[in-house]
Amino acid sequence: MEDKLKKVQSIISSLDKVLVEEPFVVDQDLNAVGKVKVIYNEIGDALSFAVKVLPEYPLKRLNAEAITFYNKELIEYGHVMGDGSICIHTAHSFDVKKKLEIDFSSLKRWIQRYFVNKEHDGHYEHIIMQPVKYKDEHHSFIFTDTEHTFQYGDFGFFDFAQIHSGLFYDTKINNRIILNFKDKYSKIIASSKWSSTYANLPSANIQFGVYVFMEKPPVAQTRFIINNWKDLQGKVPAEFFTFLHGLERNNQKAIGAPIPLIIGYKISETEIHWQAAMLEFGRFPIRHEKINQMWRGFFIDQKIDWMITRNSSYEYFFGRGKFTDEITNAKILIIGTGAIGSMVATTLVRGGCKNIHVIDHDVKEPENVCRSEYAFSNGITNKVNELNEILTSISPFVEVQIMDDQFFHVHTKVFNRPQDLKGLEKALNKYDLIFDCSTDNDLMYILSQLSLRQLITLSITNNAQALVCGTEPSHYSWIMNQYENVLQNDIDDVYNPTGCWNPTFKASYNDIAVLVQYALKNINVKMGLQKELRNFVLLTNENDAFSIKLEEF
Amino acid sequence: MDKSSHLDSVIKTHQITKEEQLLKKHKEKNKEVKEALEKKYEESIYSPFNSGSYAKNTAVNIKFDFDMVCPFKRNAFGSNGTLKQMYEDVFDFLYDKYKDEASVRKQKVSIGIEFFADEDGDVVKIDVVPGRELSQDKYKDDENLNLYVYYKYGNFDQGSERIKTNVEAQIKNIKDRATKEKDSIRKIIRLLKVWKNTKYNYPTKSFFLELITIKAFDNKDVSGNLWSKLETVLEYIRDEVTGESFSLKDPGNSSNDLIDTLTVSERQTLSNDMKNMLERIEDNDENIKTYFPENPKFIEEEESDNKYKNKGNGFYSTPPKTERFG
Repeated sequence: MEDKLKKVQSIISSLDKVLVEEPFVVDQDLNAVGKVKVIYNEIGDALSFAVKVLPEYPLKRLNAEAITFYNKELIEYGHVMGDGSICIHTAHSFDVKKKLEIDFSSLKRWIQRYFVNKEHDGHYEHIIMQPVKYKDEHHSFIFTDTEHTFQYGDFGFFDFAQIHSGLFYDTKINNRIILNFKDKYSKIIASSKWSSTYANLPSANIQFGVYVFMEKPPVAQTRFIINNWKDLQGKVPAEFFTFLHGLERNNQKAIGAPIPLIIGYKISETEIHWQAAMLEFGRFPIRHEKINQMWRGFFIDQKIDWMITRNSSYEYFFGRGKFTDEITNAKILIIGTGAIGSMVATTLVRGGCKNIHVIDHDVKEPENVCRSEYAFSNGITNKVNELNEILTSISPFVEVQIMDDQFFHVHTKVFNRPQDLKGLEKALNKYDLIFDCSTDNDLMYILSQLSLRQLITLSITNNAQALVCGTEPSHYSWIMNQYENVLQNDIDDVYNPTGCWNPTFKASYNDIAVLVQYALKNINVKMGLQKELRNFVLLTNENDAFSIKLEEF
Repeated sequence: MDKSSHLDSVIKTHQITKEEQLLKKHKEKNKEVKEALEKKYEESIYSPFNSGSYAKNTAVNIKFDFDMVCPFKRNAFGSNGTLKQMYEDVFDFLYDKYKDEASVRKQKVSIGIEFFADEDGDVVKIDVVPGRELSQDKYKDDENLNLYVYYKYGNFDQGSERIKTNVEAQIKNIKDRATKEKDSIRKIIRLLKVWKNTKYNYPTKSFFLELITIKAFDNKDVSGNLWSKLETVLEYIRDEVTGESFSLKDPGNSSNDLIDTLTVSERQTLSNDMKNMLERIEDNDENIKTYFPENPKFIEEEESDNKYKNKGNGFYSTPPKTERFG
């Protein structure tokens, strides 16, 4: 330890424009701690930092750097945390000397950008706060956009619904979504833009809380959340105290029950954020005082227990990546929800699609699970019903509709006169995008006779050696020609499960998914460029290393 | 497989004479429309005549229609009459006459008459193109006509008062070539039309495909068997259509450049489609069948038998080769 300490100290002292102010010592947690001065201009001005080097250094502790620079006087500057630590992300190195050089040069860059140049990053930096537990459990409130524009001084009720509970590190967390906002007379003024699955959660799951909208974020020193109720005085309208007082008085039987208060504020011209604190009936942090014959409300001197809130609006939810708008805004039909169809469905939903109809007459069996998006835990059940649950559990923004499983059979096989096909064409033209993953050649033939907005027919050969994607009007003859004359479709080597003769193709989830993802990527690229889709084949090669070749027609 | 004999079969199964009944109905309606126009406009009109693919002998029997040019005299609509007046007058006449038996629509430079399907399900389509000679009584000498542009056509804006053309010159552009070459050009044009019909609303007009084929024949050594000739034309389109200085002059009006009917991105798409097609056919001859499909309506019986020869027929324990999975 002593050796490492000496080494760290000697390397730091050798760094350019860095002086050791207080020599490094080892504290009781085996960290090396000391103080340094960093000169940041020609005339010798310097900033001091307490430095803590963890024993793991130069490696990281979990995801965090094992070196920290502190200066509490700098917390008004960008990227400084509440404890005065400077938030730096630096490159990795196994070598202590190199790593110290890297870390100090990151610190110097921080000084230049945020201390000297006083830069402000374009994106909004959320308020720095540490969520606390209420009665030994965490509580989160997840919100999304509404159509309503909140104004300073608005207050009233909101409804929230419980979704799954889980563990937040070592503590139970109760997750809730905010459903709507009401005025003080309980009239709904704004509904959250969740899909109908979430908007219509059973009423047994629904509770209420109160909200107030402030003009500015509840912060001190620009980014640090106010931690005492009395510091919020003057930031909420006087009537809000009367409202809270009345609520408490009218709910005498609820004494001791929790009720969340969410505080809203603008973070940009168009976006708002909410912070949540837990109140308790009988112990609201307010008092009233008669001043000049008038009762006035005040917050009391008491710590605020802030809970967890998250903005989960569509833009945030899919902020890290999504399909092109041409796909996400499309009304989509997926015909056939087996291996390919279920993968297409989950990928589209994770990619931000909002409106998906599915149709399949089949039942999911345990042996379907290994190469589809289905789960064993759901047992034997209709594929479409399970898929509906999976898709709506992934995204709170997708409307899934299950079509009558007899739809195609009736329209294409029972009634297939030309005038019936016109009716089918009309019914299908309410979809912008239809994925036919049914592998039903009869259906493919009939669909090929219709003029549809965009039909995409996906299937694979045995062993997933090739994926065939038809996108053009002539797709029936093109696909049949691929299978019949062009591609290898080794149909002798099929999988025969026990029992009644019912062979199926051989391929794993990985074999199929790699091709489905490749195909969807190509479709996304072409549609994003507003190009017409062309029929294509993905050919795999396993002779040496695995490769996929896209052949566009 | 022999690509050239497949292509021969494509042409054979797409001959308009195969659609004898439909062709006859087109001829009859064409005659009727022509006579009606002559009766209506009497001394103001020269004899309407067929232009388009039927006149040029490049028609195929899928989606075919008749184009009829109506050359009007300069003073047909008064000495100050406009081309718009001409266009509207012909439209009003045709609309009144046929509104109960056809849908009559204003198109780019023509008026489309699409007769409702008859008892056999046949649909007759005739596009009437009204045009006016440039100066009084000069048409017989110079064959030049001014057309009215109802909506944007290449570089001609919607409502443009004139687009000069010479339909006779357009027809002669193919007709006046040596018989052997003429025959090859027509075959390639028909094949390109068959290919175009496999796409959704492909932006290239038939006239564009005609001109680019002829230009390929003028600039390349287009020889060998039918596939070899087609391949040369496809390569020519692939390589040339995106060139900045590439032009396709209308033989009826050299200031009308058909390349302007495509956007830069559409030219790129056309070139890519040619590239993909050539590569896929190079990969596997069988792919030619779906780029240039035979018209299944007219595939002869013996060919049909061969086509469905046993390639994994679902005989008990194995599924057929066309079994798709997913």
